[in-house]
Amino acid sequence: MADQAPDEKRFTAIYDDCRQRVWAYAVSRAGRQVADEVVSETFAVAWRRRRDVPDPALPWLLGVARNVLRDDHKAETRRAAFTAELARWAPPPPGDVAEEVAERLAVLRAMAALPEGDREILILVAWQGLTPRQAARVVGCSPAALRVRLHRARRRLVRAAEGDPTNAVGPVAVGAVAPPPVRPQVGITSKEMS
Amino acid sequence: MSGDVLRILAEARPAELHPDAQVDGAIREAELARAMAAGSGPERERGRGAVQERRRFRPVWGLSLAGAATAAAVAAAVVVAPGGGSEGAHPGSGTAAGGDQAGVTLNANTVLLAAADKAEGQPEQARAFWHHKTVIRQSFLVDAPSGPYTVIALSSEEEWVPGKPGGKQRVRQQDLGAKPARPADVAAWKRAGSPGTFKVRVPVSPKLKAVKTAEFKVAQGSPSLRNATVPADGKLYWLGRNVSMKQLRALPTDPARLKAELLRWYSGHDTESSSVPMKSDAWLVVVAGSLVNGSLPVTPGVRAGAFRMLAGLGSVRAIGKVRDAQGRSGTAIATTERTPNGVLEQRLIIDPATGNALAHETIVVKPAGVYAHLPAGALLGSAATIANDWTDSMPG
Repeated sequence: MADQAPDEKRFTAIYDDCRQRVWAYAVSRAGRQVADEVVSETFAVAWRRRRDVPDPALPWLLGVARNVLRDDHKAETRRAAFTAELARWAPPPPGDVAEEVAERLAVLRAMAALPEGDREILILVAWQGLTPRQAARVVGCSPAALRVRLHRARRRLVRAAEGDPTNAVGPVAVGAVAPPPVRPQVGITSKEMS
Repeated sequence: MSGDVLRILAEARPAELHPDAQVDGAIREAELARAMAAGSGPERERGRGAVQERRRFRPVWGLSLAGAATAAAVAAAVVVAPGGGSEGAHPGSGTAAGGDQAGVTLNANTVLLAAADKAEGQPEQARAFWHHKTVIRQSFLVDAPSGPYTVIALSSEEEWVPGKPGGKQRVRQQDLGAKPARPADVAAWKRAGSPGTFKVRVPVSPKLKAVKTAEFKVAQGSPSLRNATVPADGKLYWLGRNVSMKQLRALPTDPARLKAELLRWYSGHDTESSSVPMKSDAWLVVVAGSLVNGSLPVTPGVRAGAFRMLAGLGSVRAIGKVRDAQGRSGTAIATTERTPNGVLEQRLIIDPATGNALAHETIVVKPAGVYAHLPAGALLGSAATIANDWTDSMPG
């Protein structure tokens, strides 16, 4: 578009930077059927509030997308959709595969077994590349609380992946946490954990 | 596991979720157009939670206030609301701005005051949900290499809103398909190979020359039913500012008090001031339009008051008997405005029997700018009220 107003120019730039990330977030949270709708709604909100969109825009946009998902799509439906996506991303391995591949598939499948809150944080950090501070902004908690939640999510992911029958690799400790202690013991007060 | 699980997880990210994955050009255009069509000026929204703050506003016959779109009517309903010359299924409304009953000169005030009396007599009992359904027609230009033609896109929007604070509202939307507008357009469409999908140029607002592109299909889409959360403060309607169902129901019925109350919500305007700017008249016409057109759950008394207030404004003309885009007969009143895209007429078509507004329509009286290709008198769009009532339940 030749002569765009400054608002339109900035908005288009934000769209071009972030559209695919917002879509990826929506797919990984609720499946592709609803992803386009979520993207559409998210950017409609962003346009209406374009003067409020900060730089970088991504955490803000993901926060909006998160609200759209929460308001308009049932948790149960979201989980089913993720499982469906998973079948596409992580088909059962055809037989002998490299250790690395088996590991990745096991981790992907383990994602489906996690509580939605865990999965969300892992998606924000590992797939969207957000810093804990940015991820905290998206989910609306303090950075400290997010670190705690990330730590627990990661531990549960390891446990679920190790339980995967196709993962022949066996248990390996992650970070400082040995297998199943019920509470993390890395100097976290129970208050922060709530 | 041979390493940090977060690294493995990052490596396991499906390729299609990569941030640099290409977005289809057509999708990009459509999404940008839709987003930017969905709101006018940047709206400073109070409180937290963007989604809870979605504006709910039906562009009444004041498309002039572009950008007043309901969040749900994302599909650019904004743009050229009213429309529809003689597209297939419906008989079409008048083709000339003068209505179709020559010789009968109606005074706008007569029409409005009669509507007020009828509206006042309507019984009303508020129930659990306010239910409202609108069919929207929009006229678009398709720029085919074999020659341009105009299509009319139909869609419907239906909603259920809880009468009491809290709870969910539900919105059902459906694309009803797009068709060439007039016989000449049908011929041009056939020359273009009778495509099933139209790429159209969408004016950003009826007043501006800027154009975006969007896509419509001949085929009817499947209905989508979705929940939307009612904002915590209950303010899901727009009357110059966000208002709640409770505030709407409590509007005064007396025309003078109603006018004062509405002007209080007219931002940038001091209602205590003795010099009322002329601009507020046009604004009142728009806002009052949404009170009388049946889209908002106002009491019959408020509707009557709004009709009387309109009658007092003096900037409204009567056009007489016309058919709306659904083919329903009614009496129309209108306002006219000059824009870079020609002279546009906003019509409100009223059912004389009930005082209900049947539809609002926009007609291009003197085409220019993005409407230069249209014949004078062509309908740009319409929003027809199909149902508006209170009900005890909403669809599961």
